[in-house]
Amino acid sequence: MFDWTDEQKMLRDAVRQFIEKEIVPIHDELEHGDRPPYDVLRKLFSTFGMDVMAREAFKKRIEFEKAVEEAKARGEEPPSKEDRDGTGGMDPSFTMIPIIELCRYSPGMVTAMGVSMGLTAAAIQSRGTIAQKERWVPELLTMEKIGAWAITEPNSGSDAFGSMRSTARRDGDEYILNGSKTFITNGPYADTIVFICKLDEGNPPEERKILSFVLDRGMPGLEQSKPLRKMGLHSSPTGELFLTDVRVGRDRLIGETEDVPAGGRESAKDTFAMERSGVAAMALGIIERCLELCVDYAKNRVQFGQPIGEFQLIQEKLARMEVHRLNVQNLVFRYIEQTKAGKGLTLAEASAMKLYSARAATEVALEAVQLFGGNGYMAEFKVEQLARDAKVLQIYAGTDEIQITHIAKDLLRR
Amino acid sequence: MNIVVCVKQIPDPAEPGSLDPGTKTLKRATKLILDESDSYGVEMALQLADAAGGGEVTLVSMAPNNEVSGLRTALAMGAAKAILISDPALAGSDALGTAKVLAAAIKRVEGADLILTATESSDGYTGTVPEQLAELLDLPSVTFAKHIEVSDGVVKVQRQTEAGYDDVECPLPAVVSVTAGVVEPRYPSFKGIMAAKSKPVDQLTIADLGIDPSQVGWAGAGQEIVSVEQAPARESGEIFEDDGTGAEKIVAFLENLKVI
Repeated sequence: MFDWTDEQKMLRDAVRQFIEKEIVPIHDELEHGDRPPYDVLRKLFSTFGMDVMAREAFKKRIEFEKAVEEAKARGEEPPSKEDRDGTGGMDPSFTMIPIIELCRYSPGMVTAMGVSMGLTAAAIQSRGTIAQKERWVPELLTMEKIGAWAITEPNSGSDAFGSMRSTARRDGDEYILNGSKTFITNGPYADTIVFICKLDEGNPPEERKILSFVLDRGMPGLEQSKPLRKMGLHSSPTGELFLTDVRVGRDRLIGETEDVPAGGRESAKDTFAMERSGVAAMALGIIERCLELCVDYAKNRVQFGQPIGEFQLIQEKLARMEVHRLNVQNLVFRYIEQTKAGKGLTLAEASAMKLYSARAATEVALEAVQLFGGNGYMAEFKVEQLARDAKVLQIYAGTDEIQITHIAKDLLRR
Repeated sequence: MNIVVCVKQIPDPAEPGSLDPGTKTLKRATKLILDESDSYGVEMALQLADAAGGGEVTLVSMAPNNEVSGLRTALAMGAAKAILISDPALAGSDALGTAKVLAAAIKRVEGADLILTATESSDGYTGTVPEQLAELLDLPSVTFAKHIEVSDGVVKVQRQTEAGYDDVECPLPAVVSVTAGVVEPRYPSFKGIMAAKSKPVDQLTIADLGIDPSQVGWAGAGQEIVSVEQAPARESGEIFEDDGTGAEKIVAFLENLKVI
């Protein structure tokens, strides 16, 4: 794959048209006001039938899982994944293209969407019981309900599990949850929250089991903060969660068991790989948009009697941006090809892809600000927002430093 | 209800177009897209088929080089199938030649209750094909529809006029041209886009339609493009310095234009 197909271009053009009609007119409210992105995301989903497709795919998946459980109960060989999906993989371009297009204007919207229908739904989908999946997942996948995935705490970031203080204590058949979480995407508005904590049995914290619970908005003892002020990504509301003696039944414990089934680590890796490849698509959207704006500006901005594009120092910036665009696009194309062939990325490959793309997006967006000069520092010219937004790609979904250690450890293990 | 929509695939208006100096016609060797003015007919057809509780929307198009890109867009919106007539002998066809080809293709669609067109294409602007088509098919023709309803074998049309609209009725089948902008064309759904590539596109030549090459293309064209001139540059407007009488001057200017 070296270019988008006609079909993919049709998809891209349709999404781009939608964004120009529905998002561009409210862009300032999303990025400089406190307008939550959810209504327009729901409209995006319903306009393109993504909600219907998500429900159908979920139904198919649950029917398959039920068939597996029934076969196991009868002592028969369960049907294989190939029976469900065929031998090839899915085409991820239908996910990647809307991400790229949204990031040309509002990378925050992708974050809000990805955390809700990606991370939160995936956490329940990968380890929940069938009843739990049916209860919470479909409405997360369609964006009818907004999800948040709560792992980070004031004192636990990259060392998420080691320093985690949030607890669950058994109380009869129920659990009592306590703790506070921060930097939670969609936290202020979430309807469904996956809360990750340690089971406190009086044992030392490092020996405690990690459990995940599903919480609903409005439960007694659960407080969702207002949006936090942050550097960028303003179209993605971020907040804190405070849990004070929140009482939950076992039906809210993901998997309804304290013993995390084997394969939990694998599914977490799949989630990380998916998330990291999504970041590459986000970077591509930011880079494409910055480059377009810069080329246009370089042709039309006249200084010293000529368009600034005539100056070699400006040309150098444009050339570097184009090299990054080509490289990141190639990474995205490679991811699409590999996934379609049914061969997912390894975690180290996904980390390498994320590391490069995030750094490229930040460099391109900051150089775009520089190329625009004083205008670049003004919100009206849009590149300053993309520069503020790009920076987060180096921090969330695993910092650059974490990606580097994953890549290096993988090399040294071989 | 089965509806045929005539759609034209044109060079992308967002790209700089160019004229063939020999023929003085628009170069069409590039990738073509669905004419936006036809997207209203496609949307109207899909809505009418929905309202009727079923039926198929069939596209009919004439384009060079077996071009299907624009058709795929309309198929992704929800049309069921398409007929494409592509033949080197069609190069240079005038409006009547085009109407002959489209009429012959429409005759192959079984059980067509209604034929929709745009009022005119965005690249040729002759605006005569719908009426020629109706004549060739020997069907009633209603033009400039802003609203269409079908019941009991009758089509009821609000026909746009300069003053408002006329209510017009005629029996089906009929040819109706749809005014641009009267419905909001839907976005193709992701599922529609995926399904579009496997929808049938029947690719035909004029021989398949039994059309004599001398009746179409340059050979059959009853017109000749003698010369092409640049449109005159827009003249600069009048500039008034506001000396305190600006409002009166604006009123006088508008009165002079007879708009107030």
